[in-house]
Amino acid sequence: MSKILKKIKKINPLAVIVFICSIFWLMPLILIFINSFKPYNDMLQHFLALPKSWSLDMYIETWTKFNFPMLIKNTLLYTVCTVLMIVLLAPMAAYKLARTKSKMSGICFVLIIMPMMVPFQSYMITLTRLVANVNLTGTKMGQILVSIGLCMPLAVYMIHGFVKNVPLELEECACIDGASKIRTYFSIVLPLLKPILTTVVVLDTLATWNDIITNQLIVGGNARAMNIQNALYMQFSAQTADWEHALPGIVMSMIPSLIFFVAMQKHIVGGVTAGAVKG
Amino acid sequence: MKNKKIKEFLLFALFVFPAVIFVLFATDIPFVMNLYYSVFDWNGVGREMTFVGLDNFVKIFTNDSLFWKGVKFTLKFAVFYVIIVNAISLVVALVMSKEKKSSSVGRAFYYIPYIISLTAISLIWKFIFGPGFEALYNITGWEFFNWSWVGTPKLAFWVVVIMAVWQNVGFYMVNYIAGIIAVPKELIEAAKIDGANAFQVFRKITVPLIMPAVSICMLTSLTFAFKLFDIIMVFTKGGPANSTVSVAYNIYKEAFVNSKYGLATAKSLVFVVFVLIVTAIQLKVTKSKEVEA
Repeated sequence: MSKILKKIKKINPLAVIVFICSIFWLMPLILIFINSFKPYNDMLQHFLALPKSWSLDMYIETWTKFNFPMLIKNTLLYTVCTVLMIVLLAPMAAYKLARTKSKMSGICFVLIIMPMMVPFQSYMITLTRLVANVNLTGTKMGQILVSIGLCMPLAVYMIHGFVKNVPLELEECACIDGASKIRTYFSIVLPLLKPILTTVVVLDTLATWNDIITNQLIVGGNARAMNIQNALYMQFSAQTADWEHALPGIVMSMIPSLIFFVAMQKHIVGGVTAGAVKG
Repeated sequence: MKNKKIKEFLLFALFVFPAVIFVLFATDIPFVMNLYYSVFDWNGVGREMTFVGLDNFVKIFTNDSLFWKGVKFTLKFAVFYVIIVNAISLVVALVMSKEKKSSSVGRAFYYIPYIISLTAISLIWKFIFGPGFEALYNITGWEFFNWSWVGTPKLAFWVVVIMAVWQNVGFYMVNYIAGIIAVPKELIEAAKIDGANAFQVFRKITVPLIMPAVSICMLTSLTFAFKLFDIIMVFTKGGPANSTVSVAYNIYKEAFVNSKYGLATAKSLVFVVFVLIVTAIQLKVTKSKEVEA
């Protein structure tokens, strides 16, 4: 008996509060999920109750009515293209910049890092202007190019910091063996960068999948190039929203991020701390 | 010899230039374009651009009450956001930094809002503050749920704060946890043996040693507050009655709603200087408070 009492005494009241709050923190998501199965009247009358039936009818209707296959295809296209280009180009640039000591290298580094210091909001207007000038407004190409450009600075910065800790001796060995510079990079350096590349991939995948601001600015209302976030936003942000379709839509748009989060939790949490130095 | 130099340069270009070109296109060139447009009066579409010199800047500082209303809103938001988000995430981090299964689940709960998209966040809160509160009012009868949260200027401010805090606590929590875990266990044990209680340990050992994490979190939360834009754009759209127009949203509106490109780009430049100054001051202040273990 006294043992149990001792155990209860040992429990920190602060910890209890924090844990209870964590459930409240998730509450909005839980409410969205259970209400997404209800007709509108039930949402108002039985807001907190579980739905009467877990039928997927509204999900299927939303899926076809708002052309989800195309939206998902677009969003996947943007995410895959951005991440692939970043993984190809960012480590190349970061590696070379870290290994070259010249004026040119310094200038290029500053050009790449500069956007991390100035807020995106200060040049987004002129960015849309520039995209319009080269006739890429409303196109998938425009969205992909901008998305790569916006993800590049942080990626290069993070890899650059990492490359400095990769020992030079390894590359020298490869050189003596007669491997060309390009081959040395792909066969020796790149594999060594795997940990930081995982972080970069995780951060950029989430950023591109969840992006709405860039898609709003570059693609705007062009239905064929919209990503999933932008399309949902355009559909449901009107004054009186059609909640019966909106809620299943939100849930479906979140599922990929949530699965990704559960699978990559360690990398996401680690990566965010690594990227926090960004101002 | 010369041949070797050219070869070296070509190799450098092959490795570095593609990345530079993308960044130039998406960020550097647009940023420089600001400087050019800021001295013109231009509606953004027509061919007619009138050179007005520094008139745009003069206008911002003398005759633009909405911009200064935006500055006031942004500063007020910054004060409340920085205090609330850091207080909550530090407390949560203190509890969640224990290596236990329950903490990793709890951490995930706090972190999830940070990884879902802004569209989802804005629609979720729109649903909660709309039909959700209506339903809760019917159940509980509490007047609190019957207030027009999104429709009243005073409450709309808190709606923005609540959304921003809800979304971002996970991010700061993770940074604080990284700082707390790095505190050497021996120091804490030594202090306990010397008879320090939990609060004293926190005050005298944990706090000084997690100062680097505190400075990172303070800095990022402050710059986040100054750059506040996304939530406004997808949720309140500055309303009701322009009560939630942040500086960044004011710039956006000036360009895309009022079609005053020249003025908007001039404001962008003022905004950059403003953010950079605050960042520099903040960095200096928090850096001076850090100690080594």
